[in-house]
Amino acid sequence: MSRQDHIREFAAKALADGRVDYFIGWKKGHNASEVIPAFVKDPADVEQLIWNPLCHHNLVTFIKRNMPDPVDAKIGLCVKGCDSRTLVSLLQEELVDKEKLYVVGVPCDGVVDRRKLEKEFADELVDVAFPEKGKVVVTTRKGETKEFAQAEVLLDACSHCRYPNAVYADDVAGPLETEPDREGTKPDWSDIADYENLSDDEKQATLEKVYSTCVRCFACIHVCPVCVCWDKCVNRSRQPELVAQKVGAKENLLFQMIHMFHVAGRCTSCGACDRACPVEIPLHLLHRKMNKEIYDMFGFEPGTKLDEKPVFQLFDLNDQFGD
Amino acid sequence: MADTKTTQASGAASGAAPSTSAAASGAAGDRPVKIVGIVCNWCSYAGADTAGTGRFKQPPNLRLVRVPCTGRIDPLFALKAFEKGADGVLISGCHPGDCHYSEGNYYARRKFELLERMIHYLGIPKERFKWTWVSASEGQRWQQVVTDFVSGVEKLGPREGRAL
Repeated sequence: MSRQDHIREFAAKALADGRVDYFIGWKKGHNASEVIPAFVKDPADVEQLIWNPLCHHNLVTFIKRNMPDPVDAKIGLCVKGCDSRTLVSLLQEELVDKEKLYVVGVPCDGVVDRRKLEKEFADELVDVAFPEKGKVVVTTRKGETKEFAQAEVLLDACSHCRYPNAVYADDVAGPLETEPDREGTKPDWSDIADYENLSDDEKQATLEKVYSTCVRCFACIHVCPVCVCWDKCVNRSRQPELVAQKVGAKENLLFQMIHMFHVAGRCTSCGACDRACPVEIPLHLLHRKMNKEIYDMFGFEPGTKLDEKPVFQLFDLNDQFGD
Repeated sequence: MADTKTTQASGAASGAAPSTSAAASGAAGDRPVKIVGIVCNWCSYAGADTAGTGRFKQPPNLRLVRVPCTGRIDPLFALKAFEKGADGVLISGCHPGDCHYSEGNYYARRKFELLERMIHYLGIPKERFKWTWVSASEGQRWQQVVTDFVSGVEKLGPREGRAL
């Protein structure tokens, strides 16, 4: 039984039993390289739910801050390893109600970056197939077919994944993926090393170049599963006007830094913001660095243990910071 | 305005980045450096007052913002100051254990440590940001902290921030 069948079975059962009012999963998108979130209310509709390596959406976004629709709805949802960490982050701060959730963990061996696939071809993609584990076969409109190894076209975030299986789930769809040795190894931060090694002036020049393209669409905030006060966001406050309405590199970077600091300790670097950005700003430069420093300061990996509190909500008299 | 920004950005990215000293002696000219100090009401503000009452000579480049407690200081304050053109930001409060509200500065020091590391990561030199503890009676120490910090910033000169 494939993971997809497991997901459908769990969804159908939970809906039929009345355990959930609706179930959130993934379904086929409007074009071949895209998968979109699915909200299933009827057990007869579970056939639309799919699972393949294109299912990148972090569905925890839809339940953040007890704001599902309607408010008291019982919700089932699928989570990958990285998504489950953001869910645990929310649970740690009691921002969502555990009792109202039904969580299906989907063990994941890496998500394919659709932008990487699309950039390989000038043509429109009409089919993206996964004939066997680790292989991606893409067909374009003109009939050109090309095969990729899944490892070549994975999201950057997946290359340093430490949690392929859900940290917290009620049911698991199929056998678990192999867990990396987390006790013996430290997280890999090599993806930001190039930027870190730049001089101060080069860093400023790089940031200016990157952030002058930001259009302040706030997609990164909307899609962020742990950015929880988005309905009264300081970034959009006019009175007081903390971030200027002007769209320039400085204002944009200030806005993004506010986002980063507000999710510090909750952000698990799931990469949802990177994937949502329409101008492809490398947001991982900021949130990966933040998590690197948090790990360095506290040995803390956000969203990995249910009984932990985020480090910025606590203090320790023996902290060795400052002079 | 947006267009000029973009052109500058691409131009700068393709060419060699100017050195700090060149940037400092460039458009910003020889104006005195402006430094924003964010201090807690109970210790460092009083400490600055003590320094003033004691007639300790200190550089006039510092503008103080008084907040109830260092726990009130949002990392945004420092970033906003840099965005608005401050040449340096100094944060100071009660020594750990002396907080008027018992534990504000214990939370704060965790935030400041992350803030400091992130600020350096954005390409703002270490000399331009400092956080420390100065108590109400430490007028002498306040003078020392301010003098050292201002001279550090003055060495770099006025700041021409490109991004933040």
